[in-house]
Amino acid sequence: MKKIRVLLPLVLFMLIAGLLFRGLKLHPEKIPSPLIGKSVPQFSLSTLDNPNRTLTQSIFTGHVTLLNVWATWCEACSIEHPFLMHLVKDEHIIIDGLDYRDDDETAKKWLQQMGNPYQIILTDPTGNAAIDWGVYGTPETFIIDKNSHIRYRQIGAIDETTWTTVLKPLVEQLEHE
Amino acid sequence: MIPELGTFAIILALCFSVLQIFHGRQSAVFGQAIFLSMAMLSLIICLITNDVTVLYVRDHSHFSLPLFYRIGAAWGGHEGSLLLWCLILSYWSALFCIFGYKKMSKQISEKMLMTLGLISTGFILFLLLTSNPFFRDFPTALIVGNDLMPVLQDPGLIFHPPVLYSGYVGCALSFAFAIAVLIKGNMTTADARACRIWIILPWSFLGCGIVSGSWWAYRELGWGGWWFWDPVENASLLPWLSATALLHSLIVSEKRHTFLGWTVLLAIITFTLSLIGTFLVRSGVLVSVHAFANDPTRGLFLLGFLTILIGGSLLLYSFRIGKFYQNVNFALFSRETMLLLNTILLLTAVFTILIGTLYPILLDALNLGKISVGEPYFNTIFIPLVLFVLLLMGIAPHIKWQKDQTSTLLKLGLPFLFSSMIVASVSFIFSTTLYTLLGIFFSAWVLLSTLQYAIKIRKNSLRHSGMIVAHIGIAILALGITFNKTYSTEKQLRIHPNESIQFANHDFYFDRINTNQGPNYQSVQAIFLVQHQKKLIGEIDAEQRIYTSHDEILSHPGILFNFWRDLYIALGNRFPDGSWSVRLYYRPFVRWIWSGGLLTVLGGLLSVLVRYKKEKPA
Amino acid sequence: MKKSFVVLCLFLFSQLLFAANDIYSFHSTQQQNQFETLTTELRCLVCQNQNLAESNAPLASDLRQQIYQKILQGQSTQDIINYLVARYGDFILYQPPLRVTTFLLWFGPLLFIVIAIIILFRAIGSDRNIA
Repeated sequence: MKKIRVLLPLVLFMLIAGLLFRGLKLHPEKIPSPLIGKSVPQFSLSTLDNPNRTLTQSIFTGHVTLLNVWATWCEACSIEHPFLMHLVKDEHIIIDGLDYRDDDETAKKWLQQMGNPYQIILTDPTGNAAIDWGVYGTPETFIIDKNSHIRYRQIGAIDETTWTTVLKPLVEQLEHE
Repeated sequence: MIPELGTFAIILALCFSVLQIFHGRQSAVFGQAIFLSMAMLSLIICLITNDVTVLYVRDHSHFSLPLFYRIGAAWGGHEGSLLLWCLILSYWSALFCIFGYKKMSKQISEKMLMTLGLISTGFILFLLLTSNPFFRDFPTALIVGNDLMPVLQDPGLIFHPPVLYSGYVGCALSFAFAIAVLIKGNMTTADARACRIWIILPWSFLGCGIVSGSWWAYRELGWGGWWFWDPVENASLLPWLSATALLHSLIVSEKRHTFLGWTVLLAIITFTLSLIGTFLVRSGVLVSVHAFANDPTRGLFLLGFLTILIGGSLLLYSFRIGKFYQNVNFALFSRETMLLLNTILLLTAVFTILIGTLYPILLDALNLGKISVGEPYFNTIFIPLVLFVLLLMGIAPHIKWQKDQTSTLLKLGLPFLFSSMIVASVSFIFSTTLYTLLGIFFSAWVLLSTLQYAIKIRKNSLRHSGMIVAHIGIAILALGITFNKTYSTEKQLRIHPNESIQFANHDFYFDRINTNQGPNYQSVQAIFLVQHQKKLIGEIDAEQRIYTSHDEILSHPGILFNFWRDLYIALGNRFPDGSWSVRLYYRPFVRWIWSGGLLTVLGGLLSVLVRYKKEKPA
Repeated sequence: MKKSFVVLCLFLFSQLLFAANDIYSFHSTQQQNQFETLTTELRCLVCQNQNLAESNAPLASDLRQQIYQKILQGQSTQDIINYLVARYGDFILYQPPLRVTTFLLWFGPLLFIVIAIIILFRAIGSDRNIA
């Protein structure tokens, strides 16, 4: 009994150390989305090219879409942008954009300069629609299946590694569903 | 040239450190101290001369940064702070060589130095291999530097990290003592007595460090808070709590030759917590605004070292502790039991804070989702624990060693009565919550009980003056927290110049706006004149600084304080119509919190001083 | 990304525009209290060690605005919490919920102290080494 007692601190310490080792590989600031597996939130938003036209969540039905939440004031979005262009051109992915807390004119200029990968660009100048999606930072990308269900949320910029290891396999799987 | 000298000095210090592991010689300790001092001096010179070929200088300084803060930048970043860590370890070791080596048996002193050598080698290697502050990177264009973060450009930077680190690092000494004692196979009363100063001093530094950190956050962060249960704050509280338990356990080991296993274990735990704290702040494992931005590979090295060091120590503990000879005769109702309960309560507090801080990682690692643990959790569990500790604090000094009658408790009738009376009166006059009443009761309880004890032993009170002062300090701390939490108020509003606002029984008149140019910032000050019962009592300058290098706006709240309360104003934005957003805070008794903390530290130092004076002639 | 994340938070942390432009007026102190309770018990997801009341992040400002509107509409505290948890998950709650997964968290300290005291009393009761 005594032997067990004196070994207890060592055991406890090893558990804590093990936890911390595991913790090094995690990303504590990334929060999982509770919307995975659920239908996309309902919305009615204007588009960038035609403020008088409003679209709803019906735009997602029938095909696999990536919804990219971006802003002109977001540095990481600029870094991600070329890769999105590549995805649209070379991999023929459908990407829609949600312009978050931005001003229309600035957004149009930015896209003129950087290129426009988006099929549709919804605008959310107040940020209220994004709250329904659980957005807390930019860029974020949602993968939406043919039935308008959210299947994945990417936090942070998409790069080559993330695409090939995580996102591309998922998109291919969803295409076949 | 100087950066290379710096690196070379670190390498030399490493050599001495390795020598120290195998030979435990004092000369190795001094060698380390000298060369690490040279290294730190080199770093400071690089900062003062703004040598932008050194990456660290580029990242943490700026040509317009005032001289004062350029020196502080030496420990404002990860690499520099690690150098500070190693430097302070060498200073503690040197201090031990000068003042403590002879007071302990040679076996122990020598083994202590060897253990310290092991620790310093690990850290200097970490410094040299992954975090060398002298890393050079020759720029191709004109560089002015990224500047020290504005939130760090405060006098607190000069004081808080060195003091706090002295506390963290000082815990290595009692750890080394524990290892030495385990290797030796026993701990005598003389050993325990000699170790005392080497736990009280670091404990005092930790206390000062925590208090100064709290005070800095209060002044700098602008919402009148003094504790946030932030992971990095928790990381400094953990070793302090453990060191408090260790301190008390050591006293028992010295006086009664018992609790030897607890003392040794607590010494190991305290240093472990200190190391875990050092790890948490720089590994990226937890999200905290206090944390150094870092990559996990550094964290891996540090964690690996700490696992081997502590794992080895605890293994040694489990094999050797059974062989210790000690006294075990004490009854259920005795001072020994009281102090053991105290250890258990403090360890429970440590466990709580540790589990609360690490729980998010646990759930995330097991893929059970992400939660966050914050103030509500810590307050719920911690406060009752503290109340129990206060209860015990009032009882324990009056209980005899080894065995006492429960009827002794009746002697505490007076403190109990008066505490109850105070609580009753307060609850009649002011509005209170349950926690307020409990807080007042137990603070008064500790205060009165300790005074009664002081009176009882008045002839011997000098010997116990440290304990008396420290316990009173805790009572004042607890009282300050109780009143501050209960009666703080705040108000947020929009105000034009020349308007007046009534708040917390005072009148605040927005007199004027001043604009100033500081050394590396522009400042806007809102000057408020404060009146109480129609008499002008002072002025509050709420300031906003725009730091030119970072394009950052930092708010410097204005504070008018006296013994009882702080009046605190934080300036916000200016509205287009010329009005300003302003937040007023009424923070009663907040200075009692820090004063109580400092008084506790003073008590600790007093006990060491009294000891030292007594032993000198002998 | 992590480094810029920390820098972003320090930036926002030190800015102290503290909802500078949002001054909320309520119809009753009860609503005021409800707002205070909610904003201090919900975590800002951008600067994750601050609550919604203290954080300067734009998202915090947006969420405060939404909470404000909902309080004016008369929604209960629990309804508002449910609304936010449905979008952001449990992480937004500062007080960890009481679930099977958080059992250890909430009852761990109690278990710890009870076990420790039992061991203590048993050890003192017998004549063995306490060590």
